[in-house]
Amino acid sequence: MRPVYALGAGAHPWGKWPDKPQVQLASEAMDEALADAGLRWSDVQGLAAASSRFEGGMGWGLHANELVQTVAEQGIPCINVGGACAAGAIALQTAYALVSSGQYDVVAAVGAERMPKGFIPRPPGSADDRTDDDYLRWVTMGATNPAYWAIEARRRQHDHGTSDQTLARASTLMRRNASGNRRARYRDPISEDDVLASPMVADPLHLLQICPVSDGASAVILGSEDFVARSGKPGVRVAGCAIGSGQFGDPARRIPTIASTVRDDVSHTSEVTGAVSRAFEMAGVGPEDIDLLEMADNTAWHLLAWPELFGFYEPGKGDWMLEQGKLSIDGDLALNPSGGFLSFGEATTAQALLQVSEVLWQLRGQAEGHQVPDAKVGMTAVLGLGANGGSVILTR
Amino acid sequence: MGHEVPEFVVDGLVEQTPEGPRLIGTRCAGCNTLYFPQKSSCANPGCDEKSPQPAHLPAAGTLYSYTIQRYQPPSLFRIDDWQPYIIGLVELGEGVRVMAMLTGIEEDQLRIGMDLQLVTQPLYTDSEKGEVRTFKFAPTGKFAPAGESA
Repeated sequence: MRPVYALGAGAHPWGKWPDKPQVQLASEAMDEALADAGLRWSDVQGLAAASSRFEGGMGWGLHANELVQTVAEQGIPCINVGGACAAGAIALQTAYALVSSGQYDVVAAVGAERMPKGFIPRPPGSADDRTDDDYLRWVTMGATNPAYWAIEARRRQHDHGTSDQTLARASTLMRRNASGNRRARYRDPISEDDVLASPMVADPLHLLQICPVSDGASAVILGSEDFVARSGKPGVRVAGCAIGSGQFGDPARRIPTIASTVRDDVSHTSEVTGAVSRAFEMAGVGPEDIDLLEMADNTAWHLLAWPELFGFYEPGKGDWMLEQGKLSIDGDLALNPSGGFLSFGEATTAQALLQVSEVLWQLRGQAEGHQVPDAKVGMTAVLGLGANGGSVILTR
Repeated sequence: MGHEVPEFVVDGLVEQTPEGPRLIGTRCAGCNTLYFPQKSSCANPGCDEKSPQPAHLPAAGTLYSYTIQRYQPPSLFRIDDWQPYIIGLVELGEGVRVMAMLTGIEEDQLRIGMDLQLVTQPLYTDSEKGEVRTFKFAPTGKFAPAGESA
């Protein structure tokens, strides 16, 4: 295993882009990443792409093949990986392995997505019977995704006394962070009153506490030490890179299941905490070393709960950390300085790569308008359907 | 006309017994883990036997958490006279937690930890199948043990 570096990153701004096919969003993100790395397409020796179920990829999730056939046919290995909302993390893990093994020197990971309008349709081939969890949650009780997150949030209010006001403040922090980030879709600051006045979706979660969906694309180029100097920017190492799946007995209310068998000694959201633990171990750092955390804030609840699950501080302390400003861009732990999913909207397969891009730019001092002061170590954490988790630690 | 076998939203989830409705899950004969709904295997990594057998779940439980579904879900969810409803997460013992609609209770009466019992209620009337039911939980004693509340 040899050291792996993040050479460059790119991200098409998040929004709604009806006139740009997914492959064009991917191509633009790659172009930016190549320019950021000081490289050309002809330098790229391998491509790992997050497979989308919504668009492109020749209908088989072959998004890497589609991209190279569009912009640079050069015989390189194309690897297409599934992982739903964590697919970008799995693509990055794949690229990491190809470089750390010594087999290739420059490998890119890319994810691009245009999200369908309204409810996400059931995938073709799903069984309409009791063997299909997604079918069951609809026909038995009509449980939407926000209902799952709301059940977690309500339980937190019971366990830790989290107030509606604190849950609202988590959303205002994301918007404040996003206000200086040109890539974010929602950049207007909002007040706690705005959040609490937005429509109730699933108690206690209001509309402004739940991430919308967006179109977006991101690319990250990894490589060996020999290629770091090309960018003319500070070298940033991929110190930890891990993916994982869930543990039997996980108490998280996992979408789209209607029931689970819980074991007391198993971590909540174990697919992500497992990846985070392995990333810490690989990097030889702990929570106290992390300057910024870019994590999947599907709701305001996630912002309070996840850092606790990762061991940044004890369960229930997230409320106090938020109230005291310790999670702000200039606080002890900058939480989603980008503005997070709440300010970007989720472009599922692209999201994890956007997180890594953000951390890279932060560590290089390139995060104009939302820079974390003197950021040296940054971490990402993401969750996807099927109990897929991913986490990356970058250091400079 | 007496009650014939009730029609449920999906087969194999719930059945009517003389003691009232029961959810149908599986219990692994190897490691004794109880699951809902029925599973084709046992997901316990420490279990080598993996021998799932049909089993009824306890019909009584406690409320672990809840929310209110405030907007109408996609059309796969069929219901007559839609209006916002409560979804609870109910702890049934042996680690099993089941999500279901709650009935017979108002929002301001909801208390985490309260006792609940399984019932079935009609969700909608289908032109061919007639009345179609789903399982729900209600405050203990709210409805007759048979759980066939209207």
